[in-house]
Amino acid sequence: MSPAPIACQTRNLSVAYRADPVLRRVNFSVPAGSVMGVVGPNGAGKSTLIKAMLGLVTPLTGTSEFFGHPLDEVRRRVGYMSQSTSVDWDFPTTVIDLVTMGTYGELGWIKRPGPAERARAMAALEQTGIPELADQQIGELSGGQRQRAFLARTLVQAPELYFMDEPFQGIDAKSQQAMVEVLKELSSQGKTIVIVHHHLATVRDYCDHVTLLNVGVIASGPADQAFTKENIRIAYEAGEGAEAFLDTAV
Amino acid sequence: MELIEFFGNHTFRMVFLGTTLIGCVAGALGSFAYLRKQSLISDVVAHSALPGALMAFLIAVLVLDASGRNMLGLIVGAVTTGTLAALFANSISARTKIPIDTAMAISLTVFFGAGMILLRIIANGPFPGKGGINDYLFGNASVITIADLTTSAAVGALALILMLVFWKEFTLRTFDPVLSTVLGFRARVIDTLMFTTIVIAIVIGVKAVGVVLMIAFVVTPPAAARQWTSTLPGMVALSGVIGGVGSGVGAYLSIAIGSVPTGPVIVLTLFVIFLISLLASPRRSIITTALRHARARDALRRELLSDLSDR
Repeated sequence: MSPAPIACQTRNLSVAYRADPVLRRVNFSVPAGSVMGVVGPNGAGKSTLIKAMLGLVTPLTGTSEFFGHPLDEVRRRVGYMSQSTSVDWDFPTTVIDLVTMGTYGELGWIKRPGPAERARAMAALEQTGIPELADQQIGELSGGQRQRAFLARTLVQAPELYFMDEPFQGIDAKSQQAMVEVLKELSSQGKTIVIVHHHLATVRDYCDHVTLLNVGVIASGPADQAFTKENIRIAYEAGEGAEAFLDTAV
Repeated sequence: MELIEFFGNHTFRMVFLGTTLIGCVAGALGSFAYLRKQSLISDVVAHSALPGALMAFLIAVLVLDASGRNMLGLIVGAVTTGTLAALFANSISARTKIPIDTAMAISLTVFFGAGMILLRIIANGPFPGKGGINDYLFGNASVITIADLTTSAAVGALALILMLVFWKEFTLRTFDPVLSTVLGFRARVIDTLMFTTIVIAIVIGVKAVGVVLMIAFVVTPPAAARQWTSTLPGMVALSGVIGGVGSGVGAYLSIAIGSVPTGPVIVLTLFVIFLISLLASPRRSIITTALRHARARDALRRELLSDLSDR
């Protein structure tokens, strides 16, 4: 059996903020159709890895490619769900308008979204379980609803490869459940999902592949091979008190 | 003063139309500056427009042998130094650990200081048409000519058209710059276009309002409009209306009261509108918000106390 095709990969990717390396020669590759968890301690460079791949941070060395191409050639096939804390929720707009923003990439410059784009935004809201919030001000949403609106906005792009930065950060159980359902559905449709995740205990629930990151890649591969106690210990530089934590994690 | 008398007078009419136009354009375009949290950088642009406007005067008089008060020349000069000052402030804060507010204050004062020196040089020199050059500081709406008005209207319309054409890109970049980049929109292109519209909104007021107070025309109407609206189109439209109406009313009051400067009266008028908006807007009023919070805290306290007594 030949190995699964690669959805995206980096070669020798390094990022430094001023002179401090945040990522050091990272070779990261994600098999198509997998759900890849990017796991590591605070400051390990998890978000930076994704941002560097997507051109949001300029790498010091290395390259990234998606489906064998540079990002600019396949932008429509790649979606990114940023952390919902990255925007100002007092911005005067409604949930449906926020979700419609996901269609702006394919519309290109100047062309405005029409009824077709709105209908797709509405369908994405149905998928994430919050269609009744369509006409609400975004400022009125709870944390979980914000994440679900952000997920809907990413779904509207209909990408083949999803990058999600801490999608379960600070949300209620109901929202989490709704989002996990969507992820499972995407996965069953053969989409590739890369999730930055910091909650070790639930990594195995969501991810079939894991990359343990701490400035460099500690281990990467199918969850049962990469996400081992030993690797976690190295990634987290685990010392005193970490053993109990490791017992709950794996 | 009767309204008929007011509008029957050519100078009064020009003051009214000129300031209304400036208020309307600055108010509408200022909404994006407000939402991008660029109010202070807008003030850097406004103050730093002074040396540019004065250099345009000198070049017109000395090199081109033309009138130093040409509106288009003034706009070009003001845009140039205003933009340089903003770029200077941004590049200091990007390359050093100096905070952006400090960088902006440094930039603003050095450009404004240079403008003050130029002002003195012009005032003391043998330049034709230098009378009233000091008006660039605090503005003089009564010297607006029909040519000024047409130029301002054309440049203002250009900026408004830019905003409408790139509405989608402006909105996306303002709300979520990261998504805008990931979707493939060049940040520099959008930023340059947006900055251009904001700078135009500022500099068309230099002659009538002056560089010192112009910022009020850009930031006060959006701040007031935000209180009443919940969509971006609504906010931009209302902000333009507030800017236009506030300026028109202020211009009328300044003339009706007599011997009070127009720009400052407009600024005060806009402030009154802002104050009313803070107090009376249905959803964001500071009074109802405080009441709502107090009530919610009361309910929470009672709930916590009753939990305690249940045990």
